[in-house]
Amino acid sequence: MQTVELPQDVILFITEQIDTVPHLEALLLLFEQPAEQWTVERAAARLYVSVDAAAQILQDLERRKLVRKRLDEPASEYVYDPTWDGTGQLMASVAMNYRRYLAPVAAIIHAKASRSVREFARAFEFKKDR
Amino acid sequence: MEMLHGFLLGVIATASLTAGGFFLKFWRQTRDILFLAFGVAFIIEGINRTSFVFLELPNEGHPSIYIVRLLAFLVILAAIFNKNRRG
Amino acid sequence: MAVAVYVLGILVTALCTLLLLRAYAKVGQKLLLWAGLCFAGLTVANILLFVDLVIWTDVSLYTWRLSAAAVAMLLLLYGLVSESD
Repeated sequence: MQTVELPQDVILFITEQIDTVPHLEALLLLFEQPAEQWTVERAAARLYVSVDAAAQILQDLERRKLVRKRLDEPASEYVYDPTWDGTGQLMASVAMNYRRYLAPVAAIIHAKASRSVREFARAFEFKKDR
Repeated sequence: MEMLHGFLLGVIATASLTAGGFFLKFWRQTRDILFLAFGVAFIIEGINRTSFVFLELPNEGHPSIYIVRLLAFLVILAAIFNKNRRG
Repeated sequence: MAVAVYVLGILVTALCTLLLLRAYAKVGQKLLLWAGLCFAGLTVANILLFVDLVIWTDVSLYTWRLSAAAVAMLLLLYGLVSESD
C-alpha cells in the first residue's frame, strides 16, 4: 500500500474533532447534501446505524459546533454549520481527502484513544470552552 | 477478621495495579502526561498496599506509608496543575 | 505532618471526584461516571482514615476504610474494562 501524505490541517481536524468514522460520514452527508432534510431517522438510514446511534452522533457534532439544528421549521432537523471554517476550504479538503484516501483517514480515526479516554483527560481542564 | 482485611487489601492492591496499567496504556496512546501521573499514582498505591503485608496491620499511621501516599497525591496534583498551566 | 497528608489526600480525591462527575454531567461519557464514583469512594476512605486516626482514635474504622477503598477500586476497574475500548 502506498503511503499517502494527507494535509496537516486535515489530519489536525480529524484528530481533534472526529470521534469515529460514522461521525465523519454524518458530517460529510450534511455538508455535501444541504438540500436534504436531515432528520435523525434519515441520517441513521444513510449511515447504516441505529436511530439512537445517529442521534448521539448528531448531538456530538452539534456540541462541537460543526452542525446545528435548523433555525426555521422543522427545528428537529440538522444542517451543516459552516461558521467554524472561515474560508470553507478546510471542510472541502476534508471531504475530498476522505473520498480519495479512505483507508488512511480511517486509520487516523481508529488510532486515536477511545472517546471516553479523551473525555477523561478533558475532565481535568478547568477552563471549559465547550 | 484478619482474613477479611487481608482479602480487602489484596483487592485494593490488585485493582490499583490494574488501573495503573490501564492509565499507562492511555498515556502511550495519547501522550497526555495526565495519564502517566494517574498510572504512576495508582501503581504506587498498589505497591504501597502490597507492602502492608510486611508490616503490622493496621498501619496507615506509619510514616513510610503516608509519605508514599503523599507522593502519589502530589503526582496527581502536579499533573492537574500542569494541564491547566498551559493556556 | 501525618494529619496534613490525610487532609491533602481528602482534598485531592475530592477534587478528582468533582471534576470527573462534573464532566460526566456535561458529556455523559460512562467512564467519567465510574471514575468519579471511584474517587468519591476513595474520598470517603480518606475521610474515614482521618476520622479513624485523628478523631475517633479509640474506635477502629479499618474494615470500613478498606471496604470503601475496595469498592471504589472495583467501580473504576469495571469502568475501565467496559468503557475504554
